[in-house]
Amino acid sequence: MPDSTVFIIDDDEAVRDSLSWLMKSAGLHAQTFDSADGFLDGYEDERPGCLILDIRMPGMNGLELQSELKRRDFRLPIIIISGHADVPMAVRALKAGAFDFIEKPFNDELLLDLVRRALEQDRKQREDMAETDACRARIDSLTPREREVLDLVVEGASNKQISAELGVSLKTVEAHRAKVMDKLQAESLSHLVRMAVSVIER
Amino acid sequence: MRLLFVLPLLLLGVVAQAAQPISIGVLSHRGDEATLSHWSATADYLTEQLPDYRFSINPLDFEEVDTAVGDGAVDFILVNPAIYVNLEVNYRVSRIATMKNRWGDKAYNTFGGVIFARAERYDLNSLADLKSGTLMAVNESSLGGYMMALREFKAAGIEPYRELRDISFAGTHDRVVMAVRKGLVDAGTVRTDILERMADEGRINLNEFRIINQQTGEDFPLVRSTRLYPEWPFSKVRHTPNTLARQVSIALAEMPENHPAALRGNYAGWTIPLDYQPVHDLLQELLLPPYQYSQQFTLLDVWQRYWAWLFSGLILLFIMGGLTTWVLRLNRELSHAKQRLEQRHALILDSVADGIYGVDTDGNSTFVNRAMEGITGWSAAELIGKNQHQLLHHTRADGSPHPGEECPVYHTFRDNVPRYVDDDIFWCKDGHSIPVEYSSTPIRDENGEINGAVVVFRDITERKKSAEEARQHQMEMAHVARLSTMGEMASGIAHELNQPLSAISNYTHGSIRMLKSGQEGIREQLIEVMERVASQAERAGEIIRQLRRFIRKEEPDRKWVDINQLINELVTFLQPELRKAGVSLRLELQEALPQLWAHDIQLEQVLLNLTRNAIEAMQDVPLSRRKLLIRSSLLAGKVEILVEDTGHGIDEKVRETIFEPFITTKEQGMGLGLSISRGIIEAHGGRLLLDTPAGDGTRLRISLPLDKGEEGA
Repeated sequence: MPDSTVFIIDDDEAVRDSLSWLMKSAGLHAQTFDSADGFLDGYEDERPGCLILDIRMPGMNGLELQSELKRRDFRLPIIIISGHADVPMAVRALKAGAFDFIEKPFNDELLLDLVRRALEQDRKQREDMAETDACRARIDSLTPREREVLDLVVEGASNKQISAELGVSLKTVEAHRAKVMDKLQAESLSHLVRMAVSVIER
Repeated sequence: MRLLFVLPLLLLGVVAQAAQPISIGVLSHRGDEATLSHWSATADYLTEQLPDYRFSINPLDFEEVDTAVGDGAVDFILVNPAIYVNLEVNYRVSRIATMKNRWGDKAYNTFGGVIFARAERYDLNSLADLKSGTLMAVNESSLGGYMMALREFKAAGIEPYRELRDISFAGTHDRVVMAVRKGLVDAGTVRTDILERMADEGRINLNEFRIINQQTGEDFPLVRSTRLYPEWPFSKVRHTPNTLARQVSIALAEMPENHPAALRGNYAGWTIPLDYQPVHDLLQELLLPPYQYSQQFTLLDVWQRYWAWLFSGLILLFIMGGLTTWVLRLNRELSHAKQRLEQRHALILDSVADGIYGVDTDGNSTFVNRAMEGITGWSAAELIGKNQHQLLHHTRADGSPHPGEECPVYHTFRDNVPRYVDDDIFWCKDGHSIPVEYSSTPIRDENGEINGAVVVFRDITERKKSAEEARQHQMEMAHVARLSTMGEMASGIAHELNQPLSAISNYTHGSIRMLKSGQEGIREQLIEVMERVASQAERAGEIIRQLRRFIRKEEPDRKWVDINQLINELVTFLQPELRKAGVSLRLELQEALPQLWAHDIQLEQVLLNLTRNAIEAMQDVPLSRRKLLIRSSLLAGKVEILVEDTGHGIDEKVRETIFEPFITTKEQGMGLGLSISRGIIEAHGGRLLLDTPAGDGTRLRISLPLDKGEEGA
């Protein structure tokens, strides 16, 4: 994952710097920020990676940054670093969608493993996102009648039921179905349903 | 004859309407009528001779003479020589002529006294024969009729007053003669010529009498018993002008022996004034006026003359004796009272538990009470009169010598200002010292001059002990409070420790990974990282060092403390709390502050307590407004430290009580923090005050003195 960056946000310079060094030793690219605001100012959404965030900082703390990122629809996985006393806060962060948390002092392998998994998730997330976007484009290319047929197929209706529902002949339904399968480049019915669901759920 | 006189008198009366009246006082020893009848012709003679004046006779009794002359009621005086001598001495009269007496056809200007008895008293021949007899005289002041005889008695060695049975006075010569004749007395005395004249008048017969101590010679024709003296002098009184006196003197001298006036007055004209020394001698011998105070007084004389004075004197002496007795008794009572007072005084002094002693202006003890002996071990005898400073006060508590000129007791009677010293030492006889508090008050004598001081002192060993115990207790409480604070702060401190530990862990693991990967050219990077590791290890060590220092029991001694360094160390503890509470800290530390003589940990505890309160006070205000300010400065010779937050401030109602123990606005906590903090600051001689900042929030102000202040706490 050479194009991914580990964003490290910590107000303690030594911790920040040492984390950066640790990432570098593991062949990861890291960028450090001394505050949440600094990060928000310097980050663009396109950059893949993950966040290592000290939950307790002056100014905007970890939890607040997390909700701000969510508001901006940034989906970087967040690894929370917390002290022993901050466990309840970390749990709240997890519930709000953080990737994981790790308590100080931590084992380097454990942290690196978490980072790698977070980066993997980010990569997958970005792939999924790309695929979904393609699906949506295809779905958007359907005619209104084809769209009606797709919706009914996803609901699990049979061709006969569809023909009755739409008041068209069975033959017409089959022709629309074939068109939909073709337009969405579906390999099977289940593939079609998954694609449709992933788009509709969003 | 009378007509002859009356006419010119009438004429004169008319002519001399403007004539000046001149009064001649005459001793009236034979009655006023006789006197006027004898002497008016002489006055008329003078008026005739000196027409500008009208002379008149003023008869005077023996008693009246002095007053008349003293008051100036008469211008001339004609009296017997004895009275004259007195007037001469007392009123400065001066004689201008002496009368010549007439006997038969002879004139003579002396006279004497005659002492006589009835002729048949053959037993009476000499004066000594009259011892135990009775004598009658004319008058005490009568010269011829008494004094002359008296002198002869004395000359004969007879003390008439004592040795004669009785001396009586008849008033006139005639009556004396008649009384002797009748045998009423053994003898009488009259002036010469009386007997002869009375015989001449046919009233007596000279044969009826015998003359005692009869004198002969000196061509004196009359019987006499005494020496002779000059006849009566005619004198001017002091106010009479000399010209008039001279004119009168000449007129009298020119009077013929047989002039009708002389015949009328039974004399033979006037001669120049005689020497009256014999009269002086007589009066002197008899100790009569004006010689009554002469030396030859006997005790009896003294008694006779001065009995009233002596009596008064005796009474006075008696009164004085009484007074003396009274004063002596009063004195005895006073000395008893004084003794009682002193006993009571001593009793009071000795019943007081405090030591009391007096000091004179030389610094020597004047008195001591029993408590002082008990406390110091010195006896009163060892203390009194000795220099108190050298005995009790010679060395200070720190072992340095205490010079006398710095002794507060001395200063008291130098500047008259009472002093109170609450912590000093006195040295006891056995060489150990005791802590004392004492007051020294100037004392004044009855004139208001300061003559020393009174010192009242108390052994404060017990007080010091309980103060020490209180201090110990306060230290223990402060220690407990610190432990409790640390307990509350443990997680924060753990976090603070975690930071460097995490950094070290990251650095080292990263380094190991780098080394394992066998990359080239990472040596320089590794060295740099290792240096960071070392500095983080030091950071962790520093936190632990601070922590240990803070929670240990402090050393009892103070030391010089740099308050800014203390604040920076405090921030180590504070950092986690600040991070947790999202509070931003601003330090405004004035550079180069003087150091304070203090217990560093206690001060740090106070600051930590105040800052943690401040952080806690801001938990409800928006993040952006959570600001903590710590400022140090030098202000008016004191180091001032401000701790200011931007919280909601302290409720007006609670402001007054926040420094009291167990008052708290927090849900948790005992409310001991501010109470202990204030205790610590006050023990340093400083003050901890609640101040009102301009905006919201709370400001606490610590001010600490620069000097070493009280060492007590």
